[in-house]
Amino acid sequence: MTTVTPPAASTPPTSPAPTTPRTPSPPTLLSPRSRARELLTGAFSGTPGRMRLLGAIAITVCLLFGVASFAAAARLHTDVENARANAAQLVRVQTIRTNLVTADANATNAFLVGGLEPASSRAAYTNGIATTAKTLAEAAAAQSDEAAAHERVNRVVATYTGLIESARANNRQGFPVGAAYLRQASRVVRDEALPTLERLVRVEQERVDDATAGAESNQIVLAVMLILTVIALSVAQLYLYSKTRRILNPSLVAATGIVVVVGLVALATMAWSRGQIDNAIDGPYRRTVALATARIGAFDAKSAEALTLIARGSGAPYEERFQTVSKEAKAALAADADDRATASALARYLIEHGKVRAADDGGTYDAAVALATGDGAANQAFGRFEVVSGRALATQAQDLADDLGRAATPLLPMAWLLLVAGIAAAVLAWRGMSQRLAEYR
Amino acid sequence: MTVRRSILALVALVVFSVAATACDNGSDSKRSDASTTTTTTVAVAPVVDCGNPVASFAPLDPMPAPGNMPAGSYMAEIQKRGRLIAGVSADTLLFGYRDPLSGQLEGFDIDLVRQVAQAIFGDPNRVDYKVVTYAQRIPSLLDGSVDVIANVMTINCERWQQISFSSQYLDAGKRILVRTDSPVTDISQLNGKRVCAASGSTSIDNLKNYPGVVVVPVDATSDCMVLFQQGTVDSVTADDTVLAGFVAQDPYAKIVGPPLTSEPYGLGVAKTHPEFVGFVNGVLADLRADGTWKQMYSRWLKPSGAVPDPPVAVYGRNQ
Repeated sequence: MTTVTPPAASTPPTSPAPTTPRTPSPPTLLSPRSRARELLTGAFSGTPGRMRLLGAIAITVCLLFGVASFAAAARLHTDVENARANAAQLVRVQTIRTNLVTADANATNAFLVGGLEPASSRAAYTNGIATTAKTLAEAAAAQSDEAAAHERVNRVVATYTGLIESARANNRQGFPVGAAYLRQASRVVRDEALPTLERLVRVEQERVDDATAGAESNQIVLAVMLILTVIALSVAQLYLYSKTRRILNPSLVAATGIVVVVGLVALATMAWSRGQIDNAIDGPYRRTVALATARIGAFDAKSAEALTLIARGSGAPYEERFQTVSKEAKAALAADADDRATASALARYLIEHGKVRAADDGGTYDAAVALATGDGAANQAFGRFEVVSGRALATQAQDLADDLGRAATPLLPMAWLLLVAGIAAAVLAWRGMSQRLAEYR
Repeated sequence: MTVRRSILALVALVVFSVAATACDNGSDSKRSDASTTTTTTVAVAPVVDCGNPVASFAPLDPMPAPGNMPAGSYMAEIQKRGRLIAGVSADTLLFGYRDPLSGQLEGFDIDLVRQVAQAIFGDPNRVDYKVVTYAQRIPSLLDGSVDVIANVMTINCERWQQISFSSQYLDAGKRILVRTDSPVTDISQLNGKRVCAASGSTSIDNLKNYPGVVVVPVDATSDCMVLFQQGTVDSVTADDTVLAGFVAQDPYAKIVGPPLTSEPYGLGVAKTHPEFVGFVNGVLADLRADGTWKQMYSRWLKPSGAVPDPPVAVYGRNQ
């Protein structure tokens, strides 16, 4: 406010010193570099110079805080959105897989019954194929970088439905070659479509893992930026305090307050989001994967049961497949202690399947077929599993999407708030410093 | 005698073509190797000499009454068990196939099995069917999982080493199937063409005599028909009996060329039960004598036209 002399007194001794040795003969011609340096040293020397320097640092750090924390929050938001998109894609791919296996199980079972296939079996098959086609289209739209895989599956589905129709046409005319078409159709799905879909499942699972694994680093970036900014603003204030004997500079205090409040709120928000993500991954995501795995295993088992009966005596390899895939289904559900209903529905079906095998092995083939089809106990038990597991899967998939959606919601507004806070703090810091600088003039 | 009769029957088949009756496809014998020349020298010198391959054990005389099998015999064992276990095909139309409409197994071979069950129990329905592939036929007799094999099985000396056969119940021969618009009339015109046959069958062995053809092996003969209808293969070779079943399912297929081999069909029984072979031969002898064989033939193999006489049974093999 009052003293204008100290800076003037302190600067002259330093500033001429460098210029004299540089310009021995023509003092008028300064090289641009020297002049810049002179200007710079002039600007940052002495108390106002140091103030300027500190002010510049504080402003820069505030701006950096805004930009870097904006980027961190935005990246977390993108990660969560990616996780959500990939999880949704994973559910779609699993739906396609399940529906193909279901359609195949239904076609096989319808064949086992003989005569005109039951309208319900046919409807289930048609529904399975329709859902597959619809989900494939959605999956292709959602994930363009797997276009080749989607196209391949699409082609296989077209071939598969063609073969099934040939099998039906022959079947309707009483031609046993229909069974050969059915076998080929089954083979096409198993050899060509399912491996591709299994690969897609792995890819999407990795993507979900990747998207959720990087979440922590964003919080660290925000925390570090917050600490740096507070330090820079505090140093500036301490310097001002030491030079001006004023305890508080309102602008700098406001800048610090904004940064601290917004930064802490952002940290808390990110921590909450991460908690939501972790919950989603540990809960609905894991259960979605488990249920989808269990359903695929169970449908595969059901179709193996029918193929064992169709093979009539030489079906041992199919029964082996039944044992393998039903164990996989059981293991997938065993990990989930919260969902006893699905596990017990599966267990119930496996018991009924045992009765089918006992009937067939005991020489009562017709009784075995009756159990495995139509209103037979095994078929009914399987139908219940299908309903229960399907409902559970739909619930979990929805929960997963909801949880991740909730986790993502506050992150983008938070990111903008951080950017605005950084800019506001920078403006305030500039104001605070320039007020003090003005007092020196 | 039998051979001469078979030849005549086969020549007749060539003339009558499609409604064909004879053929076998499942054998893995080398018997067919020498049979490539003409229809007149269909009979083949077996690699293993067992005398006349179609000669079986003499029928039981007198035949026991149904439900009253002699103690200690294998038939008594079956009767005690309550069901005859038969190894059959489920996809060979006319012989052993699962009728898609009823879901039941039907065909000439199935009827034979039912006749055997009738003779044991007085009830033709007391049969447990086990579907076996060609390659599983002999192993399932050897491990005792079936009592009898009725699955278009060719009698030959090589197989006599492992199992026993009933007397011959049908004559068959290998032929080829092509599309109706195909100019092919003989297997020699299939050079460079893709020809499908079931793995482990005499048909696929027989193709070794025609090095020009491209062999496409499959698990079951009906898979050949899928490939044929899809245009993946140009031709299918199998017993004419089996091919007749294909033609019945596909109006765009025809059987051409002379029979390439002679394939006498017999029911297979484990070597350890000669008395059961004699019993089965007794059943077959009754079928020939009382006209049942002709009824079965006309039901499955020749819906119209003359029904031939059954192949004459030859006995005299030493147990």
